[in-house]
Amino acid sequence: MKRVAIAGIGTTQFRSRWIEKTYFELAFDAVRAALDDAGMTRDRIGCVVYGIYNDFFERQFQPDLFVHDYLGLAPKPAIRVSTGGATGGSAISAGFAQVASGLYDVCLVVGVEKSADCFDYETGRSSPEVLKAISYTADMTYEQPTGRTAAGSFALTTIAHLEKYGNPTELQMAKVSVKNHTNALLNPVAQSPIALTVDDVMKSPMIAYPFKRFDNCLYSEGSAVLILVSEDVARTLKKPPVWITGIGAALDWAVIGNRKDLYSFESSRIAARKAYDMAGIRNPLEEIDLAELHDAFTGTELIAYEDCFFCDEGGGGRLIDEGVVGRGGKLPVNVSGGLIGCGHAVGATGIMQANEIVLHLRDEAGRRQIKNAKTGLVQSIGGPGAAWTVCLVLERDKG
Amino acid sequence: MNKQTFLKWAERNAKRIGVKKAQVLRAFEQEMTSPADPDAPFEIPDTMHINMRYSYGGQSRFFREILENRRILGARCTTCSKVFCPPRTHCPHCYAKTEWVELNGTGRVLSYTTVYFATSSAIKNVPYIVAYIRLDGADTAILSNVEMKDVRTAHVGMAVQVKFRKQRDGRITDIYFKEAS
Repeated sequence: MKRVAIAGIGTTQFRSRWIEKTYFELAFDAVRAALDDAGMTRDRIGCVVYGIYNDFFERQFQPDLFVHDYLGLAPKPAIRVSTGGATGGSAISAGFAQVASGLYDVCLVVGVEKSADCFDYETGRSSPEVLKAISYTADMTYEQPTGRTAAGSFALTTIAHLEKYGNPTELQMAKVSVKNHTNALLNPVAQSPIALTVDDVMKSPMIAYPFKRFDNCLYSEGSAVLILVSEDVARTLKKPPVWITGIGAALDWAVIGNRKDLYSFESSRIAARKAYDMAGIRNPLEEIDLAELHDAFTGTELIAYEDCFFCDEGGGGRLIDEGVVGRGGKLPVNVSGGLIGCGHAVGATGIMQANEIVLHLRDEAGRRQIKNAKTGLVQSIGGPGAAWTVCLVLERDKG
Repeated sequence: MNKQTFLKWAERNAKRIGVKKAQVLRAFEQEMTSPADPDAPFEIPDTMHINMRYSYGGQSRFFREILENRRILGARCTTCSKVFCPPRTHCPHCYAKTEWVELNGTGRVLSYTTVYFATSSAIKNVPYIVAYIRLDGADTAILSNVEMKDVRTAHVGMAVQVKFRKQRDGRITDIYFKEAS
C-alpha cells in the first residue's frame, strides 16, 4: 500500500442557508480553494470522490453528476459516496483507497450539502421538512413511521448509556455544548459561534429527551474539499504534506434493536481500534494532540471519548468535568467548534473536520492553533445510532 | 414580479405542489416586488413526491396478521432458534429459513426517548415516546410508540403490552404499546 498525503484543502463557510449558491456552486468554491491551496491545476486530478448525503437536500438525485459537470472535470472517473453523517469520512476513505492502491496519483474529494431549501409550508419553517427528508433514510418498513427523528436515535442510545453508567448527565452534556459553541468563536467558517453558559443550555427547549436545543448540532449548508496525493506528487508541492497514517471503518446493525446492546457504538470502537493499529498508536490520550469527533449531539461526543479509547467505558463524563478535552486540556476535542459550533453540512462535515486537523498540523490555524500538534484524529459517524463510523489518523510530515 | 403576476404565480404554484395559496403568499412575500439587485436569489415553491404500491415481500404475513387478526408474530430460525421481531425470512447469523411464531405481545423497554420536535408529518403529535421494546419470547427489539398519560414517567425496563389501533392501515404504526397493568 502506498502512502497517501493530504496536499490541499478548501472549506466554505458553514451557514444555516446559502441562499445565493446552489450545491454545485458551493462545491466549485471549495474545489477552487483546495486547488489554490495545493498549488495545482485541475488537469492534475486523476479521479474524484463525491460525498453528498441526502438527495432531497439538493433537490436532485445523483447530484454528483451535476457537480462534476459544473467543475468541468469530464471525462475524469468519479464515484459518489453516501453514508449519512459519515459521508465525508467515507469519501476520504474511498479516495484514500484510490491513491494507496496506485490506481491514481491525485484524487479530489468533494463534500457538499444544502438542506434548508426543504421547507414546511404549514409551519413556515425549514427544520420540520429537513427532518422529514432525513427520516426517509431511516428504515421505512419498521422504524420511520414511528416518528423517531435523527436526534431520537442518538437519544435512545444516550439514555441506554445513562442507565448503564449513570452518565452522561444533562450537566455534562451542557458543558460540551458550551465548549463547542465557545471554540467556534475562533473559527471564521463556523455557523454558531456563541458565548453560551451552561445555564443557557439547561434552559433551552427539549428536542428529544435528554437532548435540548443546544445539545444538538444545526443543519448547515457548505462545502469542504481535500486533495489526496501519492508521496511522489506530495514531494513536488510547496506546502508540507499531511499524512493519513491510519484508517478504520465499520458498519454496525442499523436497526438498533438487532444490536447486542444499545449503550455503546460498536462501529466507533472497531473503527478507532483499526485506525490506531494502522497508525501504531497504543495510548491515544498520550499520543493524539487534538481530535475532531462527530458531536451531532453532546451526549454522542461524550460517548465518543470512550469509543475512541480516551478513557474506559463509562468514563466520558469525567473528561469534560476535568477539562481534559478543552482548548487548553491534554486532548482538545472539536477546536473547530465541531458539528455543534461549526455546523453539520452533512456530506462536507467529515472533510471539514479533516481540514481543521490539517490546519493545525501545518501551523496554519491562526488564533485557535493547538501548539506543536503532530497527530490528530477525525471521527465521522452516521446512520441511526452511529451505524457507520470512519476514523482517520492524520500526522504532520517529519521531513 | 408585479402584484398581479405574483398572485397568479403563487396560485398556480400552490396548486402544483399541493399547499395552500396563503402559505405560498406568506413564504414568498419578497417576490411581490422586483428586487433592486437583479442578481438577488430567486426562489420557487417546489416538491419531490412519488406515489407507490409497496410490496412487503416475505414480511407480508407479519403486517397482514396485525391488520386482519390483531396478532403479532416473530420469526424463529430453524437452525439456532433465535426469534426475530421485527421478523425476517432468513436468519442473519445462520442464513437458514425462519418459521413464524406467535408472540403474546408483552415486553420490556430497553431504551426510549421522548420526541418534542419532529418532522413536518409528526410535529402535531409531540410530545410522544419512541422506544425499543424486546417482546417476551423474542431475541431482538422492535421500535414502537409507547402511549402514556405522563410521558415523563417513561423509564428503561418498563413492562409494556402491545395495543392494536382501531383503524389499521397495514403500516407498522397499526401497533403501539401501553404500560402493562
